[in-house]
Amino acid sequence: MTKHQTAIVGIGQTKFRSKRRDVNIPEMIYEAVRMALDDAQLEPKDIDAILIGNMDHFEGINFSEMWTGIDAAPGYLKPVVKVATGGTTGSSLAICGYHNVASGIYDKVLVIGWEKLNEGGATTGIITAFDPVWERPSLAGALGPLALMAGMYSAKYGITPEQAAKVTVKNRSNAANNPFAHLQMPDITIDYVMSSQVISYPLRLHDCCPQSEGACALIYANETEVKKITDNPAWFHAVETAHYYTFGTDDKMYDLPTATIASKKAYKKAGIKDPINDLDVAEIYEPTSWSELSWTEALGFCKPGEGGKLLDEGITQMSGELPVNPSGGVLSTNPIGATAMVRVAEAATQIMDRGEKRQVPDVERALAMGFGGSLWTELMILGKEPMR
Amino acid sequence: MTDDIEKKVYRGRIKVPYKHTAGAYVEKFITEIGKNNKIYGVRCPKCGEVYVPPKMVCFKCFEKMEEWVELGNQGTITGFTVITHSTPVMPLDPPFAYARIRLDGADSDFVHIINEGDPNKLEVGARVAAVFKEKPRKRILDIEYFKLV
Amino acid sequence: MSRKKKGDIFEIKWKTNLPYRWSIGKLAVKFFEELKENKKILGSKCPKCKKVHFPPRAVCAECLVKMTLDDMVELPPRGTLEGFTVVNYPFTDPSTGGIRPFPYGYAIFKLDGADTYTMHFVNETDASKMKIGQRVEAVFNDELVGDLVADIPYFRIVEDEKEGD
Repeated sequence: MTKHQTAIVGIGQTKFRSKRRDVNIPEMIYEAVRMALDDAQLEPKDIDAILIGNMDHFEGINFSEMWTGIDAAPGYLKPVVKVATGGTTGSSLAICGYHNVASGIYDKVLVIGWEKLNEGGATTGIITAFDPVWERPSLAGALGPLALMAGMYSAKYGITPEQAAKVTVKNRSNAANNPFAHLQMPDITIDYVMSSQVISYPLRLHDCCPQSEGACALIYANETEVKKITDNPAWFHAVETAHYYTFGTDDKMYDLPTATIASKKAYKKAGIKDPINDLDVAEIYEPTSWSELSWTEALGFCKPGEGGKLLDEGITQMSGELPVNPSGGVLSTNPIGATAMVRVAEAATQIMDRGEKRQVPDVERALAMGFGGSLWTELMILGKEPMR
Repeated sequence: MTDDIEKKVYRGRIKVPYKHTAGAYVEKFITEIGKNNKIYGVRCPKCGEVYVPPKMVCFKCFEKMEEWVELGNQGTITGFTVITHSTPVMPLDPPFAYARIRLDGADSDFVHIINEGDPNKLEVGARVAAVFKEKPRKRILDIEYFKLV
Repeated sequence: MSRKKKGDIFEIKWKTNLPYRWSIGKLAVKFFEELKENKKILGSKCPKCKKVHFPPRAVCAECLVKMTLDDMVELPPRGTLEGFTVVNYPFTDPSTGGIRPFPYGYAIFKLDGADTYTMHFVNETDASKMKIGQRVEAVFNDELVGDLVADIPYFRIVEDEKEGD
């Protein structure tokens, strides 16, 4: 089966907030879907299939696609399928959308990620994703294991809490340029992060991502359809997925091995030899500030242990060679079912030169990352021109 | 035998508290029932269909609906079944009927309960009327049940 | 969209209370039997790659090879600390519906002889008293019933020993 060139032609995001008390779930998702359709100037009938995803246990609606695929999206009498893979839900959706169009099965696909997190609770919901006999009794949601990882990473390489705090300062001040971001803090300082309570050693409150509510929608098209829709799409160059063991603790929990494996393969597919020079912007999935330092190493931006140095040298700042998370990243916005898709939406926005205040100059290639489950990594590389 | 099975299973529970935002459409619908004993639907600007309970988007046209239509508190049965068994949570004491009701003025069926447990007294096409709760609690059961007229 | 005032919020509150009976599989049944009757901790060893898994399980993920009761091996109730934290925030425990008591010590370590890591409670809530490399030892309940947390409520840090002693 020949592979079709696939591009993102429409993007929709809601303004992410802690609680959206003005809308119920389908009403919230409709905002992002409407925005994406208007962006691509397509009619509801133009969509061939819909992929929609969230993590059911956060809202307690255990067949959510039945309600949301039809009332919030043009899914009536069309194929609607749910994808749910924890923190990687958004990126899995983005990758499945790519598969459906690149394979030639559908011409135009709508992909939606959403979460109304504060109707349940993130930590409580996450615990129910794990093994009831062996893991649930002690597991503290995602923050417990992330805290263990941060401690192990810090001990191995000597990364300091101040270096981690710098990540929060970078990302939440970047978020001030992003009209959709949840936590926008243009004047945030390292002291602000360092003076917050230690909620799970060594993680401080402001080392951790928030719980947000909102939705993100993307419209994909193949090369024939793209010509009719827009002259400014974001083309897929490579997608790569690496999943890990059943229990997150089955192998080492620092140095994110799945990101190293997936990035090597993705870079090879996309012809990237040196990520710092060959990529122009990266939207990576950092659930904690420490994670961003570690993931930049795992993704090959620098050597193991040098994530702190990379940030100190300014390479991942907005003015650096490879800006990381101009949107504010996960530390600023975290509606779990949508979070990884927002990375793709923001990478596409950068490619399309529509980032306005958060736009990085001259973006030809962007990296988008999803992370979640028991240390899974999903990567997408997007480009201004189709991959030849 | 039971001991043998007990060894092979791990008994657990999932107990999670939730707080759902109902949205403006549900809020107006429930408030009109509770305060004014009126049942409202919404009309799609494109296909003209009136839906009850009301929601924001017409799923056939994918259009936002903003026209509220007051429906009669009476309707016609389009389908029913009679419940005779008992479970811990029941809206009425069995026997009673679950029914699809086409309220006057609506184009979609509304699901609710009828306080009649004898299947011989019920039929598709029969007329029913809403009976409202004395003290409304912002729940769908502020329409306590429908009765045959 | 105008912001609603607190009094205007129409929220529907409810709580699930769903009972489950999860089948645990033959190896887990054997694990809990040995824990209850003989105070032993068992793992499972892959016949192909020899990797020792704890918790014991029926399939080696890398080899996709089955492990049976004959592949179960005894592990000592001791290990070395690889990472630790003190969980210090409130959250609802989905198994009970109530807030799990905090702060609590939570650590990751390998039991001696196991190739996979374990996460479990530790009896220390002062992070400055814990260090990677410390030895930990399981603390068993006086009465054993065949349940992981009831029978081994936590691991304790063995003060005077360090790895390599």
